Amino acid sequence: MNLAVRNLRSVQVLGIDAGGTMTDTFFVDANGEFVVGKAQSTPENEAIGLINSSRDGLSLWNMELGEALSQLNTGVYSGTAMLNRVVQRKGLKCGLIVNAGMEDFHRMGRAVQSHLGYAYEDRIHLNTHRYDPPLVPRHLTRGVVERVDMFGTVVIPLREDTARRAAQELIAQDVEGIVISLLHSYKNSSHERRVRDIVIEEVARSGKTIPVFASADYYPVRKESHRTNTTILEGYAAEPSRQTLKKISDAFKEQGTKFDFRVMATHGGTISWKAKELARTIVSGPIGGVIGAKYLGEVLGYNNIACSDIGGTSFDVALITQGELTIKNDPDMARLVLSLPLVAMDSVGAGAGSFIRLDPYTKAIKLGPDSAGYRVGVCWADSGIETVTISDCHMVLGYLNPDNFLGGAIKLDRQRSVDAIKKQVADPLGLSVEDAAAGVIELLDSDLRDYLRAMISGKGYSPASFVCFSYGGAGPVHTYGYTEGLGFEDVIVPAWAAGFSAFGCAAADFEYRYDKSLDINLAPDAPDVDRAKAAAVLQEAWDELTRNVLEEFRLNGYEADKVTLQPGYRMQYRGQLNDLEIESPIKSASTAEDWNAMVDAYNATYGRVYSESARSPELGYSVTGAIMRGTVPIQKPKIPVDTLHGDTPPEEAKIGTRKFYRKKRWVDAQLYKMEALLPGNRVTGPAIIESDATTFVVPDGFETFLDGHRLFHLKEV
Amino acid sequence: MNLNVKSSDFKTTTRGIVRGGETLKQHRDRLMEATRLTKHYAGLKQMELRDSEPILYNKLFSRLRAGVVDARETAKKIAASPIVEQEGELCFTLYNAAGDSILTSTGIIIHVGTMGAAIKYMIENDWESNPGVRDKDIFCNNDCLIGNVHPCDIHTIVPIFWEGELVGWVGGVTHVIDTGAVGPGSMCTGQVQRFGDGYSVTCRKVGENDTLFRDWLHESQRMVRTTRYWMLDERTRIAGCHMIRKLVEEVIAEEGIDSFWKFAYEAVEHGRRGLQNRIKAMTIPGKYRQVGFVDVPYAHEDVRVPSDFAKVDSIMHTPSEITIRGDGTWRLDFEGSSRWGWHTYNAHQVSFTSGIWVMMTQTLIPSEMINDGAAYGTEFRLPKGTWMNPDDRRVAFAYSWHFLVSSWTALWRGLSRSYFGRGYLEEVNAGNANTSNWLQGGGFNQYDEIHAVNSFECAANGTGATAVGDGLSHAAAIWNPEGDMGDMEIWELAEPLLYLGRQIKSNSGGAGKYRGGCGFESLRLVWNAKDWTMFFMGNGHISSDWGLMGGYPAASGYRFAAHKTGLKALIEEGKPIPFGGDTDPENPVWDDLIKGAVIKRDKQAITTEEMFSDYDLYLNYMRGGPGFGDPLDRDPQSVADDLNGGYLLERFAERVYGVVVSTDASGLYAVDAAATDAKRKAMRKDRIANAVPVKDWMKGEREKIVAKTGVGDHVKQMFAASFTLGPKFEKDFRSFWDLPESWQLTEDELDIPHYGSKYSMDLSELPDVKLVQFVEE
Repeated sequence: MNLAVRNLRSVQVLGIDAGGTMTDTFFVDANGEFVVGKAQSTPENEAIGLINSSRDGLSLWNMELGEALSQLNTGVYSGTAMLNRVVQRKGLKCGLIVNAGMEDFHRMGRAVQSHLGYAYEDRIHLNTHRYDPPLVPRHLTRGVVERVDMFGTVVIPLREDTARRAAQELIAQDVEGIVISLLHSYKNSSHERRVRDIVIEEVARSGKTIPVFASADYYPVRKESHRTNTTILEGYAAEPSRQTLKKISDAFKEQGTKFDFRVMATHGGTISWKAKELARTIVSGPIGGVIGAKYLGEVLGYNNIACSDIGGTSFDVALITQGELTIKNDPDMARLVLSLPLVAMDSVGAGAGSFIRLDPYTKAIKLGPDSAGYRVGVCWADSGIETVTISDCHMVLGYLNPDNFLGGAIKLDRQRSVDAIKKQVADPLGLSVEDAAAGVIELLDSDLRDYLRAMISGKGYSPASFVCFSYGGAGPVHTYGYTEGLGFEDVIVPAWAAGFSAFGCAAADFEYRYDKSLDINLAPDAPDVDRAKAAAVLQEAWDELTRNVLEEFRLNGYEADKVTLQPGYRMQYRGQLNDLEIESPIKSASTAEDWNAMVDAYNATYGRVYSESARSPELGYSVTGAIMRGTVPIQKPKIPVDTLHGDTPPEEAKIGTRKFYRKKRWVDAQLYKMEALLPGNRVTGPAIIESDATTFVVPDGFETFLDGHRLFHLKEV
Repeated sequence: MNLNVKSSDFKTTTRGIVRGGETLKQHRDRLMEATRLTKHYAGLKQMELRDSEPILYNKLFSRLRAGVVDARETAKKIAASPIVEQEGELCFTLYNAAGDSILTSTGIIIHVGTMGAAIKYMIENDWESNPGVRDKDIFCNNDCLIGNVHPCDIHTIVPIFWEGELVGWVGGVTHVIDTGAVGPGSMCTGQVQRFGDGYSVTCRKVGENDTLFRDWLHESQRMVRTTRYWMLDERTRIAGCHMIRKLVEEVIAEEGIDSFWKFAYEAVEHGRRGLQNRIKAMTIPGKYRQVGFVDVPYAHEDVRVPSDFAKVDSIMHTPSEITIRGDGTWRLDFEGSSRWGWHTYNAHQVSFTSGIWVMMTQTLIPSEMINDGAAYGTEFRLPKGTWMNPDDRRVAFAYSWHFLVSSWTALWRGLSRSYFGRGYLEEVNAGNANTSNWLQGGGFNQYDEIHAVNSFECAANGTGATAVGDGLSHAAAIWNPEGDMGDMEIWELAEPLLYLGRQIKSNSGGAGKYRGGCGFESLRLVWNAKDWTMFFMGNGHISSDWGLMGGYPAASGYRFAAHKTGLKALIEEGKPIPFGGDTDPENPVWDDLIKGAVIKRDKQAITTEEMFSDYDLYLNYMRGGPGFGDPLDRDPQSVADDLNGGYLLERFAERVYGVVVSTDASGLYAVDAAATDAKRKAMRKDRIANAVPVKDWMKGEREKIVAKTGVGDHVKQMFAASFTLGPKFEKDFRSFWDLPESWQLTEDELDIPHYGSKYSMDLSELPDVKLVQFVEE
């Protein structure tokens, strides 16, 4: 990067990725230059770790904290605090009001929650299944007498006395939040909202302050387990997070910032910490990388992007198709089924720290699912790890520099890896140590490659129309391996791969998204008048959601004229149980032609995702949901544009050679210092490009080119 | 054995379709002969690919397995049926050319065997020459006489070709909601012969060039009640099969046909060895004996069947003997099992055996290496004529699970004794729940369409206790460990039945030091239904699981339904109405709220179609699992927790567990430690006081046996049938009870009909039919 010229620098954007162990900060200046800061996380008061991390980053620019923060236009936070609160069941004491007779359903969970997140072997292994405790215990659950059917028709009118009694009993137990979720309230919310009002009245009468959450006000979508879990999260976990975020915001304001922090949300946009639906910030870190890739794609003109992120424990893949993220509507997180819109991201439980074992009965090679995490592997003598990991294979094969792991923070010992792999893997399989290590890496790469391929073909595309982005601490080590032979249009490794998630957070739109369940059913031969009517019903829902979106922005000081709206819908063939989310080809709907345009867009997507032969237009169509997304323009990091130098890397970038094993032979790999390479340089394999936080492997048969945006392009030659 | 046969190796002029030029039949015969001679699958004493290129071998495995799992996840989204989409009642499996499975997805993996049996039937009956097996053909099968579990499991089978030669098969199966049987629902009870079981399809070619034939589409759609489900289920199966076929083609293109070909056979041998190694590691050699029973209460007036000879109460009987040898091979013998019967609970030998190792994958071999290797590693003996190996082609199968789950629970106990002995306490499992009730029925639904319902809430029964902890409540089913009860809002889309309750069923799990997981119950209000019927299906008089090492069996079943409830008026008047669960069936609360209603509340847990109208009630009660260990050893605090959590009714705390409790102001139960101690001491004393020496007890029992008194005709008939089919069982029985030579028990001497006991005619007696034999008979 260019030398910092202190007086001219204007710091614009701050991105934060507050993980469980490390807190990363990412500062971007007006020229698009950036620094990454790192510090240990401080869960008891996150603000401390954040300030430390910021100081660390800004020190590279020789800037004082106050000086930089007062220049900032905006900041985005992402972190794992809320997720941890849920996983550790350390949320608030909430009460739950459901239908009379159904008081058990939340604690029963869905049986699927007893094996969510399990590997194949454990999913079928019954005695390993277990339930986590419910978010709300049974003794804090009450029922009210009422029933509404699936059409929204009232079958049993609400008996208000039961609601009042439920409220009083929960208030008497000193709950810190009351959640209401009644069956089919997404369809007819009148009973649920009346119960909500009664509870609010009773809370007021009690003189206490207890927030009340009705599912219809938050997540009016079908499937009560998902909807109820998610609404409970608002009371149980999101409210404490709101307090945390306020603390962080205040701490930074004390240091000179003049804006409210935004938070990365599951739908891929950022929202204010004041937002009503805050539970959707439960996972945000991994999404950051996807948003970063999407933003880079927008700036550089890539429409289809495969995002791949390898850390110590997992390989995460997400797809951007036609510039759009894929959204999953009823995902699971923390072993709970939820009804949040979530950027679809698939995870393989295999990363650089994954353990390698041979099945004692079948001698099959097993990678993960558990990992050494920050303890790297056997190669680190102090780690206490005895089972070999992927990183040990890297050591054996010469991929990693034993003296420069995390910038030399810990020293690794190659011989330890060699001995352990020989004993645990190579000898039992009858292979040499390097062939065993190379075989394991090949197996991992092949798994990851298949995963990428399956995901892309599952969307109805081929890799040839995709650019693959590779980031995360361990991503660039494996990039060549998991992209080889797939025929991607391009393979890109950003020079700031290790801080890419924080970068992505800084690049995210300020976006609110609201969803609503609908039941519009139309026969295949429905007359135009019915089609127009259906279009009108959808428009009505869009109008309602638009009001919600605009209201959220108003809370943050943006008027309606600043907001760009994008409607969407969920559609399926009549009678199916799974829908597809479609970005609407039309901005508003009123005529039969509008309806037909939406049907066409759906059919095209369906044929691609499943297969032409799986299309079932003869069944007619159902619109099951309306979606409205609104964005306002915000300051984003600029992508650097440097002038190109020649092909040949400068001599000072070369830092020696190392023995490197691949395809059954040892070669001498040229080592480079990543920061010393210049835009325009070409590096031909075998080469290893090292920086403190990541290692980029370019084996023989590959070449990489560093462009003016500080992106490495990897290709097979 | 040389897997890479060349066509030039054959002197015949006709060239077969299998890679190398063999016909399917030649190929399978050669494999089976080599297997028989060497005891290694396909004669593979050495596994060339795995030994020389272990990385490639592992890569092939993980790639194909991931693809098969992925195909299931993607394809199931096409379905409309909640039992496929929500409950995951589907499965995809990849087979080698001989029809032996290489690997499978998750889901209803019993069909790894049943679809393989269908492929083998096609091979043995020369489908190759007629109707022909070509690239892009589509076959459909649900024939229970050649191995399917029950007619509602529909198979789609697609051959996989490479460069014009057959190199494998892929099968997909879904459990459909209706097969056009006598009554609505996939597992109905009214028919007593196969001809009433509904649509039956025998390995029929239903499409070519990846397109279904129009005659098939027209015919099949009108053969079932729920056409839309049927159609989309079929598209789900075909889409999944085609995804997997494409995957295999890609894998072959990249890794070479030779590697894939070797892998396709070595993987099966690998699976066989994997099982053997697990048996060695987990069990103790020896003989394990156990038994299972379940009731068929057909004499009751609410079981309306077309045939007089079926109108009898009878009992399924399955004694079993597991022999584990020191080398890790094993044999399962079901000598003494009772005869097939005039009901829908019979099973084919393939579904019986295939299902057993589905169960084994949940406990003995939970590995990624699930394939036919386990089947080749297990010897089965099922006497011909028993309910699990019928000798008559008239038998019905619609709900074979009634017998299957009740007989297999015994095998958990047998294996668990072995795990216990080896110290694998966490792996001990007291047994599986009887997976019922099945809420089924049909008529016109809320959309005014012909409809059938088949709730799958009982995919989430209680599980058996382990030797270190309680069973899981409302969690799993033996036929699908990834159990789930689904969302109520989704079931209400599929069924014109409103929920008035969903509650954990107190006392449904068996008591024990560690209790069985509890089931749950759903109270449904008939709503928006027209011309509607429903029925019950489950165990009632008999607890089909047992409990282990002092643990109690789970509670058996019962039924509750109410007609003419007057609920419409009660709702309008704001009066109390039934909600939640039928918490204490001995002291019912609901019945008093709907005075004047016609209530069915008894142990008759199997019925046939009963008419229902709006505002009628139906209770769907899902069973619990059995317990482990003496209840008097249970931690008293756990008993109090069970009371507070609604897992136990108060009076049983003292009666069964000897735990004395009191309640505090908030109504929570707490243990009275001193009183509990005294109570338990007294109970232990009582036990000793009431005990009699086994010899004395046997003496009394023997007298009853000799005199043939003290039991009903259904018990006598059960034993008489077992004696006929199991001479060794009869001999053992006779010697155990020291019965005189003159003592005989035959069905002829009983005053109940026993059609089928003497005259039967097997499918093999039909012209041009060659059956595949999978077990010793």
